[in-house]
Amino acid sequence: MNYFAGVDIGSTMTKVVIIGDSIVASLIGPTGPEHRKLANKVMEDALNQAHLKFEDLSYIVATGYGRINVPFADRQITEITCHAKGLHSLLPTAKTIVDIGGQDSKGIKIKDGRVHNFVMNDKCAAGTGRFLEVIAESLNVPLVRLGELSLTAVKAAEISSTCTVFAEHEITNQLANGESLANLVAGVHLSVATRVCSLVKKMTIEQDIAITGGGAKNIGLIRALEAKFGCPVLVPPEPLITGALGAALMGKEIFEKFAEEGQTPTRSGRGLEEARLFL
Amino acid sequence: MISISFGLHGKREGETIAPIKCREDDHMAEDKKPRALATQAAAKIAKFVKGNLSATLKAKEEGKKVAYAYIADGQDEIMRAMDIVPAWGESFAGVCAAKRDAEKYLQKAEADNFSRSLCTYATCTIGFDMMREELKGEPVPGAPWGGMARPDMILGSGQLLCDPRFKWPQATQHYLQDVPVFVGSMYYPPFDPNVDHKEQEKFYVKYATEELRELVKFCEKHTGKKMDRDRLAALVDLSDKTWDLFIDTYELRKAVPTPMDTGDAMNTMVPFTFNLGTQEAYDFYKDLYDELKQKIAEKKGVADDEKYRVLWAAGLPSWFALGDFQYFNEKGVVFPVEVTYRGGEKIERLGLPKTNDPLEHIAWRWVRYWTHWYDKARKRPGSIPKVERIIEYIEDYECDGAVFHSAFSCRSWHAGIIHQAETLKRVYKDIPVLIMEGDIVDISSYNEADTHNRIDAFIETLEAAKKRHN
Repeated sequence: MNYFAGVDIGSTMTKVVIIGDSIVASLIGPTGPEHRKLANKVMEDALNQAHLKFEDLSYIVATGYGRINVPFADRQITEITCHAKGLHSLLPTAKTIVDIGGQDSKGIKIKDGRVHNFVMNDKCAAGTGRFLEVIAESLNVPLVRLGELSLTAVKAAEISSTCTVFAEHEITNQLANGESLANLVAGVHLSVATRVCSLVKKMTIEQDIAITGGGAKNIGLIRALEAKFGCPVLVPPEPLITGALGAALMGKEIFEKFAEEGQTPTRSGRGLEEARLFL
Repeated sequence: MISISFGLHGKREGETIAPIKCREDDHMAEDKKPRALATQAAAKIAKFVKGNLSATLKAKEEGKKVAYAYIADGQDEIMRAMDIVPAWGESFAGVCAAKRDAEKYLQKAEADNFSRSLCTYATCTIGFDMMREELKGEPVPGAPWGGMARPDMILGSGQLLCDPRFKWPQATQHYLQDVPVFVGSMYYPPFDPNVDHKEQEKFYVKYATEELRELVKFCEKHTGKKMDRDRLAALVDLSDKTWDLFIDTYELRKAVPTPMDTGDAMNTMVPFTFNLGTQEAYDFYKDLYDELKQKIAEKKGVADDEKYRVLWAAGLPSWFALGDFQYFNEKGVVFPVEVTYRGGEKIERLGLPKTNDPLEHIAWRWVRYWTHWYDKARKRPGSIPKVERIIEYIEDYECDGAVFHSAFSCRSWHAGIIHQAETLKRVYKDIPVLIMEGDIVDISSYNEADTHNRIDAFIETLEAAKKRHN
């Protein structure tokens, strides 16, 4: 049995997936500010869970913002390609992916299982998970509760500021003026959905639309996106690991392509060591 | 379709890994290489730019007048024929940006209520003007390559392509109140798919010619010299030859592998853009032409392994991030052609009417440069001239994709980029497109890691498109 690993070092979470015929290990943990040195530790844990040794892995692909900090990866591929690959394997009917990560949001168009077009928002925290984190902290509501809370709203409060800092200030004022917590959170979700929708609409949107990333864990945000897009938004079984899964699948594809030609791909030759990017 | 089975081996969400702390003195040791210039000619450009700036500083000793000037407005030969030394704000601001030394000028202008969202060529130069005025017109210490001299006049030109061209000279005069300002305007007929523009062109040319005559009168008044018509005609003739040679040279880049990239073209545009009507500009392109011919004969390309050819489809570059072109090149992506700063065409392709009036000739050349894609655009339903030009380059230079750069502070040139990209996909074909975001001068808009991430994703999209196509 050949095993393949995908390591997705995102801005907020680190994800590892190991596949054989199916997923044999998947792991999610916080990236933290030290992710440059973290990759080997995460991989070690994932291998332990899968009862595998590092030598058992036939090919490793790293993705995400921290992909260059994975010395033992055989190849680096962007999260755009990996999300598309991973999601296509889980939801083959999806043609448009909305990825709401910790510090950016993206739209990806898939055609024939491959990336066709993409858009990214990285200049501003509005429309990203960070916006929700800031607001959750400001309202003293756990991040994981935002979604359910917003579903109890009578009417979404209007949040006119698109800037995270100004929106936080606006929400504090509205709270002081007696607006309900649920209405405010629903308004925040609508604000994020509006930003994300206008970003993704830069591409021609085709259904099915699917969501990945931490934003996919928030039912209130999904409902707000559905209202904005005017159609259902599909959620894969585990939306955080699609990038790592896609990376592992890309590794498998590369390995098998070489095998078809009677060759083996070049490996990094590095052991399970930490990134040596610091002097 | 792959199945997920978290239950057997996988760690569930919530089982976290303790982050590891890094040392405070740690820093990234990136293997950064300086930007490589593929051509020897491009390496000479710093001398050109420096020469243009120092010419303004020497002008006073030589008894010459200095004029603040603005690119691509048909005024080049008039200034040169009257020995007026142009001081190019756009060039100076670009140098400040390339040296990552513009912030102090931007802040100076911002402190006097110029918004950061205004044209940063203008605000950078105005900030510099403010500092020089505080020094009673003396050179500003630490200004890149000595900066620009205080002008004797400002020769603006409001164009359809740039609205700050009207306001920038006026705003500058707010600080240089004794300096006379001329702001002319050169227009060309708007594109209408249902109207043949040729009937309208002559009226626009007449208007532009009159504007140029007024400019000549203004220059005569403020230099105290009469325009030498024969000299002007000779310089216009030299410019025509430079237009032809410039295009002949750039068309050599159609070769596979391409011998020159847009990263170089953002340098080699200098003589054409800032020194038109001079023998030095013509000679520069002669040298570049010979060099490219030689590289083609030796099959020397920009990239070691040219995998993808991409068009720089619109937008001024981030002058502080020209190294991004090298980032593309190192991954096998080359730009054999760009829309930006290709402000000329083979004269014979423009079909200019014959005239003995050099000013009228400039006006025709200027108007036809913009309108000569109109007929093509009219033939392709839904197309527009800017997109037609992109299609022409994609086909002529065998491009696999297109990159647009949207510079936030340059509205008039960059508004409509998404529309162009969408129209291109609709009326031509759905090729991979990357829209980068940034600015020309303001580095605060730039994030290298994110930019490179977008470039990587775009290259993967090119790869996917090629696989799909094959």
